[in-house]
Amino acid sequence: MTIFLSSLGFGLVTASVLAIASVGFTLQFGVTDVLNLAYGAIMIAGAFVAYVVNQAGLSVWVGLVAAVIACSLGSVLLNSGVYTPFQRRGTSPITMVIVSLGMTLIIEFGVQALAGGTAVSYTMSQGTTFHAGGLILSVVQLVVIALSLLVMIGVHGLLRYTRLGKAMRATAANKSLARNCGIRTNRVITVTWALTGGLCGLAGVVFAMDSGSFDATATDLFLVLILAAVFLGGPGQAYGAMLGAVIIGLATEISAAYITADYKYVVAFVALLIILGVRPTGLLGART
Amino acid sequence: MSAELALPGLPLRAEKVTAGYGGDPVIRDITLSADPGEVVSLVGPNGSGKSTLLKSLAGVVRVSSGTVRVGDRDLTNSAPEDIARAAVGYVPQVDDVFSTLSVRENLEMGGYLLRRAQVAGRIGRVLAIFPRLGSMLGRSAGKLSGGERKMLAMGRVLMLDPGLFLLDEPTANLAPIVAAELLTEHVRHLATSGAAVLIVEQRAKAVLAISDRSYVLGGGEVRMEGTPAELSGRPDFVESFLGGRGAAAAPSGDA
Amino acid sequence: MNAFYLINLLVYAAVDAMACLGLSQQFGVAGVTNFGFIIFQAAGGYAAAVLALPHDSANGGFQSYIGGWNLPFPLPWIGAAVVGGLIAVPFTFLVGRRLRGDFAAVGLLVTAVLLNLLVTNYRPLLNGDAGLSLIPTPLRGDNVFSVQPVGYQWLFTVAAVVLAAAVYLFVRRITASPYGRSLRAMRDNDMVADSLGKNLLSLRTAMLVTGGAIAGLSGGILVTYITTWSPAAWGYAETVVLFAAVIIGGAGNHLGAILGAILVPVGFEEITRFIPTSNNLPPNLIPSLQWVAIGLLIVVFLWVRPQGILPERKRVIRLPAGSVPAARAGAVPPPRPPDARVPAGRPPDAQVPAARTVDAGGPAPQTEEQRRAPTEARDVMLETLDVAREFGGVRAVAGVSIQVRKGRLTGLIGPNGAGKSTLLAMLAGTLPVTSGQIIYQGQDITGTPAFRRARLGLVRTFQLASEFKRLTVMENLLSGVPGNRGDTFRGSLLGKRYWQADETAAIARAEALLERFGLEQFANHYAGDLSGGQRRLVEIMRALMAEPATLLLDEPMAGVHPNLARRIGRELVALCEEGMTILMVEHELAIMDEFCDPVVVMAEGAVLAEGTMEQLRGRSEVVEAYLVG
Repeated sequence: MTIFLSSLGFGLVTASVLAIASVGFTLQFGVTDVLNLAYGAIMIAGAFVAYVVNQAGLSVWVGLVAAVIACSLGSVLLNSGVYTPFQRRGTSPITMVIVSLGMTLIIEFGVQALAGGTAVSYTMSQGTTFHAGGLILSVVQLVVIALSLLVMIGVHGLLRYTRLGKAMRATAANKSLARNCGIRTNRVITVTWALTGGLCGLAGVVFAMDSGSFDATATDLFLVLILAAVFLGGPGQAYGAMLGAVIIGLATEISAAYITADYKYVVAFVALLIILGVRPTGLLGART
Repeated sequence: MSAELALPGLPLRAEKVTAGYGGDPVIRDITLSADPGEVVSLVGPNGSGKSTLLKSLAGVVRVSSGTVRVGDRDLTNSAPEDIARAAVGYVPQVDDVFSTLSVRENLEMGGYLLRRAQVAGRIGRVLAIFPRLGSMLGRSAGKLSGGERKMLAMGRVLMLDPGLFLLDEPTANLAPIVAAELLTEHVRHLATSGAAVLIVEQRAKAVLAISDRSYVLGGGEVRMEGTPAELSGRPDFVESFLGGRGAAAAPSGDA
Repeated sequence: MNAFYLINLLVYAAVDAMACLGLSQQFGVAGVTNFGFIIFQAAGGYAAAVLALPHDSANGGFQSYIGGWNLPFPLPWIGAAVVGGLIAVPFTFLVGRRLRGDFAAVGLLVTAVLLNLLVTNYRPLLNGDAGLSLIPTPLRGDNVFSVQPVGYQWLFTVAAVVLAAAVYLFVRRITASPYGRSLRAMRDNDMVADSLGKNLLSLRTAMLVTGGAIAGLSGGILVTYITTWSPAAWGYAETVVLFAAVIIGGAGNHLGAILGAILVPVGFEEITRFIPTSNNLPPNLIPSLQWVAIGLLIVVFLWVRPQGILPERKRVIRLPAGSVPAARAGAVPPPRPPDARVPAGRPPDAQVPAARTVDAGGPAPQTEEQRRAPTEARDVMLETLDVAREFGGVRAVAGVSIQVRKGRLTGLIGPNGAGKSTLLAMLAGTLPVTSGQIIYQGQDITGTPAFRRARLGLVRTFQLASEFKRLTVMENLLSGVPGNRGDTFRGSLLGKRYWQADETAAIARAEALLERFGLEQFANHYAGDLSGGQRRLVEIMRALMAEPATLLLDEPMAGVHPNLARRIGRELVALCEEGMTILMVEHELAIMDEFCDPVVVMAEGAVLAEGTMEQLRGRSEVVEAYLVG
């Protein structure tokens, strides 16, 4: 029982980090139609931006804000400088994925070239730990969970209640009709890159906090978890990604406790392959 | 039709419009007009270029030569969103609603350009015109029946008080009785309320009954134009649909 | 020293060239984007290692692994290729028809990442993170040749280069064959290839397995050369390097793949040798920048020169010298007799009345047609029984029962949205039916996949342009030919001599058709470069090359000049007189008037009437459908 509760604690934190990342990824794909595999590389770039700020003597939370801004801007630039020109040419989806893999190498190893190959960690206090039954969580972990909940509520509010969020959904559903409504879809798409890029930066920093130490290639595996959560919920489905993140996050950590930590990602891997083979539209996607 | 509508009314003038999808043009040198208060219909056999013409007017298909003027503005090859902003309401034939959004959200997207305070009032007005939508505001638009869906599509463009409507086969896939109701009650009403209406229809007889003028398209060109009475009187009118010297389309025949 | 350097270079070039050839065959020729390609090379490497290594107890347990069979050369290399091919099999479920290509690619990428993780962490399997070392090199130890080190190294190099050359000849042989043409057709448009009788799953499986075997062999050679193999050597990013090589060299061009292999994986390693090392440089800087450069190369090349340095070359096909141009008359062979594909044992032309054959498929609703005299049913080629299709609750086709007679040019007309194209797609198997049955020559084919229906002689064309863009007009036509001996994997390997006769016959037929439709001067143009009308012709000719017993045409004259449309119409009538059955959707009613009898009218998903155009024009419900609805 104690093992279960403590792994549940880890699971909640992983699910929280994963939820932030997956919601950003899936919104990006749904609205802009780019399956941006460089997402993980941008996450780690964000984590390093926060590290630089942190090293300069500022709080890591200031670094977090800096990372959100940097990744937001970076994503907008990535779209306008690379993806949009390719899309305008009528590049096929599969070639777009190859382009995004190329960008992954450029960003990830660009970061490595600048940061060196060694693992680093933030200078920060984990704060007091709280015990509730067998559940043990530090203040930082609680903050991560709270941040994730805030992001989920924020995304829900954005998509359901704001003009921009509805325009994003309208653009995802039917871009041509959205333009016929007078929506400047190019602007909506740019804003979507900014927003999801910000989420990506946020996810990168909380991922780095959660892992303790990290290097430039640390998100290679985490990207697999993101993809698993996104495809499990149905690509492009924000609520699906939240659900997928909770399932994958809890499943990986709880299985880690009972099998061995080395194979915790296998659960995500199996889940992803099964869903791709059996129901490519995901749990919450429409049946074909 | 109870709801009071006062639409601005924008005249459409298309001059020698040629357009297509890259290869050979689908429509050639089409000149037509529609004035406020008027229902102008475009009829003709499948593949005659009716939908392409409408799309080129709505900015969806590129015009390779010719001009499109709405009111006093030249909208030739303007972006679709700018054409919408110029108070032109375009209802495409398929994919005419956001199927993953609710009915209310669809209407809100129709009113995307409005100030926030105006939206609720406009939705109320649309619901007065299409009362059936009122009971299904929270439903996802993908789950509506064909007729409800078309009403939502019409309601969506009504949100912006367009001065010119471009309607692409609004009655396609509707049961005849629903189709008739849509045409006689709603489409006609748009013109009575002051707007100019350009409507593409397959159901030629039904649409002629509500039209002030009509163009018959064939092979990407205007073959005939005139008032419904003039057209129905021409022996070659039915022929333009069914070919042959037939015209013996009298309901007497029973092979 | 110099010799060793050169040897090293040559072995790496050979190994990378092999891998790139395998990838180019999958990605450039067959359009299968395998982001997990490196798995297969890794598997081959491990297979060769554990086949060559002695049992792990023999080395004092400093490394643990399964196997350890201590097998002599060349078994480790052969085993590497076999294992590389075999582990491709489970992946085929990702590349079937259901999954979008980019999603399948993501699935393969993820698989690569996770397999690497598993092997890294599970030590008993393949010694985990540390990897295997002291892997025996071929022939060393047993003093068969008693070679000197340099001489031995040269021998190894020659073996590697010869094998790379063999792989090149192997993939070239496949690609140049009719089978290779089917692969390229699938790459350009898989749905259309399916409708022409190409079995997509089988083609993709064959490519995954051969590509896997080639990658496995390359891994085996590499591992027995460098004598170590660990998870760090086959990270997912290594696949990206190979993709970079293939894209830069030219996807679909095998020489391009070799060039790419020399430029990217080999070239990069070598160039960085010449960067002066300095203690001031942070560690990892050079390798990191290498990766950045590879990423840049991919993106820049896809932008500036997506076809690569050596683009896929156009395959110009001409009749072999000396063969006589096909005679004008009878240039189009008479279609196969309708029963040609009916399994043996069935008496020719014995189409059992539908009602009786259908029994097996459950009780069919008794329709008007079925109650007709069996004598009429005898010449029914294709029949639907209450076929319906729904799209998200909307009934596009709502219970249609029609009969298409043998040797007739049947027209299908109706307003937009009447369900004509949907019906045609169900007949051809492109779309599954929601309910109802389809009977073809007395057999229930309701559940038969599209490519099998095509092989039964039921061939369709598409309303939208569906030519294979990067195949020439001639190749498009040849891709429709069924039963070419070279259009199987085995046939392609048996070589040109095995299939040349079939090919020559097909080319002669294609030339005759091209002449008949006036496109002979375009035979060796890419189909994607033709005008809209010409592309429609290509599609019709391609369908005719399939020797259909029954042809389903979806608006074949759309966008075709009226004069040409007439000519097509006359040809179609002639084909019917020779015994072919045609069902044609068309909106140009003048065409119906002139060529089609009978004409079926659909409206709102149902059949409204049937008769000649003249009769139909007199029927009020038809006029109503067109004018009122």
